[in-house]
Amino acid sequence: MKLVPVPPIAGRTLDAQLHLLDRQALDNDGVPVTTVDDLELSGPEPGTEIPEGTPAPVITALLTGPVLGTRIFGGRPPSSRLIRIPWKDVADVGVVIKLGVSGDSLDADWVERWIRDKIIARIPGGRHDPR
Amino acid sequence: MILGDLLGRAVHDSDGVKLGRVADARFVVDGAPQQLMAEARLLGLVVSPHSVSSFLGYERTGVTQPWPLPRMLRWRHRGSFLVMWEDIAVMGESVRLREGFTAYSPELVGGPE
Repeated sequence: MKLVPVPPIAGRTLDAQLHLLDRQALDNDGVPVTTVDDLELSGPEPGTEIPEGTPAPVITALLTGPVLGTRIFGGRPPSSRLIRIPWKDVADVGVVIKLGVSGDSLDADWVERWIRDKIIARIPGGRHDPR
Repeated sequence: MILGDLLGRAVHDSDGVKLGRVADARFVVDGAPQQLMAEARLLGLVVSPHSVSSFLGYERTGVTQPWPLPRMLRWRHRGSFLVMWEDIAVMGESVRLREGFTAYSPELVGGPE
């Protein structure tokens, strides 16, 4: 098969597997939030014919969630169990994915916040920085 | 749709001949500008005829080190090509391409380091 070179593209190109999936996401203070387990696209409806001239789908959200089991045994968690970080919160894609918002406002690290507030905070000395 | 459902799916041409599997999806950040980064639109899919996925994307870059890994991986992913979104007819359990689709070189240009 003869391959045609890709016509020049104005924007930056990102390959999902190479640049987005499994990358770490940091919030605007540089604190790790999560890793990107999957991406959500704005379309198309799976299995339906795509009419010619349909505008290309865009990334709507980075997805994260309880994927360890499904990584080992296959499949993926139901869509409702996945936590979404909207693409509009993404500030930069490089070695890590930088978010432009504070991690406290995201659902993605609620487990860490819950453990901090309910468990660590009850241990004597757990409410201040170690000295 | 969720991208993970698409990766690894079989790709057929309009006559039903199997061409390979979806190794990756390529996006271009040139959509509607937003507060931080513009929208990332789907440019196309990287199809690999011999493997389910791609390892580190050696077939898409000119990297030659460390010998002999790039050569081996490039051979494993030989025949990979990029199909544009415009040439995709159905995306679901499998991907079907439109008649007379164009196979583009999967070479990555303009990506981050």
